[in-house]
Amino acid sequence: MESKFKVDGAGTWYDTTDLAWRMNEYDEYAIEQAVQLKEQVGDADVTVLCIGSDRVKEPMKKALAMGCDRGVQVADDAVSGKEPFEIASIIATFARDKNFDVIFTGMQSQDRGSAQVGVLVAEMLNLPSVSTVVDFSYQDGGVTAKRELEGGIKAIVKLKTPALFTCQLGLNTPRYPTLPNIMKAKKKELLSIPVGDLLQADPRQQTTTVYFPEKKGGGLVLEGDVAELAGQLVQILKEKTSVLSR
Amino acid sequence: MKFELSEEQSLIRETVRDFAEAEIAPSAAQRDEDERFDRELMFDALAELGLTGIIFPEQYDGAGADYISYAIAVEELSRVCASTGVTLSAHISLCANPIYLFGTDEQKEGFLAPLARGEKLGAFGLTEPSAGSDAGGTKTTARRDGAEWILNGSKIFITNAGDAEVYVVLARTDKEAAKHHGISAFIVEKGTPGFSFGKKESKMGIRSSPTMEIVFEECRIPAANLLGEEGGGFKVAMKTLDGGRIGIASQALGIAQGALDQAVAYAKERTQFDRPITAFQGVSFQLADMATQTEAARLMVYNAAYRASAGLSYSQASAMAKLMASETAMKVTTQAVQILGGYGYTREFPVERMMRDAKITEIYEGTSEIQRLVIGSALTR
Repeated sequence: MESKFKVDGAGTWYDTTDLAWRMNEYDEYAIEQAVQLKEQVGDADVTVLCIGSDRVKEPMKKALAMGCDRGVQVADDAVSGKEPFEIASIIATFARDKNFDVIFTGMQSQDRGSAQVGVLVAEMLNLPSVSTVVDFSYQDGGVTAKRELEGGIKAIVKLKTPALFTCQLGLNTPRYPTLPNIMKAKKKELLSIPVGDLLQADPRQQTTTVYFPEKKGGGLVLEGDVAELAGQLVQILKEKTSVLSR
Repeated sequence: MKFELSEEQSLIRETVRDFAEAEIAPSAAQRDEDERFDRELMFDALAELGLTGIIFPEQYDGAGADYISYAIAVEELSRVCASTGVTLSAHISLCANPIYLFGTDEQKEGFLAPLARGEKLGAFGLTEPSAGSDAGGTKTTARRDGAEWILNGSKIFITNAGDAEVYVVLARTDKEAAKHHGISAFIVEKGTPGFSFGKKESKMGIRSSPTMEIVFEECRIPAANLLGEEGGGFKVAMKTLDGGRIGIASQALGIAQGALDQAVAYAKERTQFDRPITAFQGVSFQLADMATQTEAARLMVYNAAYRASAGLSYSQASAMAKLMASETAMKVTTQAVQILGGYGYTREFPVERMMRDAKITEIYEGTSEIQRLVIGSALTR
């Protein structure tokens, strides 16, 4: 049963009771891109990492069923209280001695939405990074990435690996994990590391309040015949918006 | 006792639901209107997901999942399109499964594996004008002629017929034997000379799933296509229907859930007398009953599926689950139409189709009356 999304008792996060959980959508694009890159280069090994309670094992199995080779759960029941710098520090500590050629992260999480973790990890590992990637191609150690800027503007960035990319929605079409692969994911390696082994940073910020925006007034219902309605609408657009000039 | 899905079962639900909503749902109303079976979408795409061999071992190119996963897959497909749900259910439960349960190694290699891979679509021929609930009334005959069997007769109301490549067919091989003992099961391939298709039915519901008559006229098949023992066809049919009931119960459950979801979404949006209609107890009590009945049906369906996977007897559990789920589907879809009112009665909203689709679940794979007979006779035996 799924309950309604609401702010928790402490007022600093949301109430997780009875929520249905699934993979962060941005991460699905990151995983798909990693698996596509592996399929392209052949000799590659993809590790998927997720920080959280045992609840994260199910989305990690999805990642394994989509084609990742192994999973690493950084076991942390209190992950929702951690801020982006701490999260990034955990990932960077894990990745530091692994020599990953490419790291893909979601552009942001769907809950906290800071969009900081990926780029912070890159900084901590001293890697170049490209954020908000909407197209990715790899050739001989070089990557051409298209990124999305405000207002629909795009930019093309070329760089050498190792590098980190934060993935925007629409980067690719994440595959459905097939049933045989879901069953086989059971047999893939899924490591669990206590968060204490990897967390080396102190929190630098604290979320003090989470709240729903105040309800604005309801919509305005116009009445009258068509000519009157059109007249009223034009008047409102002129007076209350910048759609029509006065 | 654990009432929680495993991580795999839960992932299978998420995957099939995402797939069903994104790929199957958008064309469901139009396919219903056109009475069109879209094989690429309703079967080939299921094969790509690995659904067409879901319960069979990897050895036969199946996914190696359990019956609960199968029930969930049929449920989630049927939640948006009952025609797609029954396509998979008939393929798995009625054609591939009897070959898995009763087939020789050669039959499993030759027929089950291509069915599981989804290269071939399966169907099952039991019902005749004078046989259906009464499998012993089978009039279609098979007589031995050297290294072949020759089939004569016809079968009606065959799901997937016409498009399917592999058919499991019941025929009388011994006219002298007592009613239930003279029947045998055979595997017949589309394209065999003497095997043709008759009338395509125009139906009230599941209109996107083809239902046809199949006809045998001096149709010769290899002796090696006898499925199970000669004279053992009644047992094949009964075992097949036990499994089939889980499939149809899951289809009914999916229809009920689909209608409930539609009714809840609508009731939250719809305002009358300046209030959302959920503020009226008349509506919210109805929704509460629909949700409660659907959840009860779900527990019974998953219980039957669990028993099938655990190797426990499940004849009675699947009959009860099918009875409960199909009658729930009929009730819940009817209530959903009522909640949507005038809109519910139009084809602009899916509950009208769901109500038409629900009716068949009380009829095929054993009518509700037959389920009561199965349950009742087990109680008083």
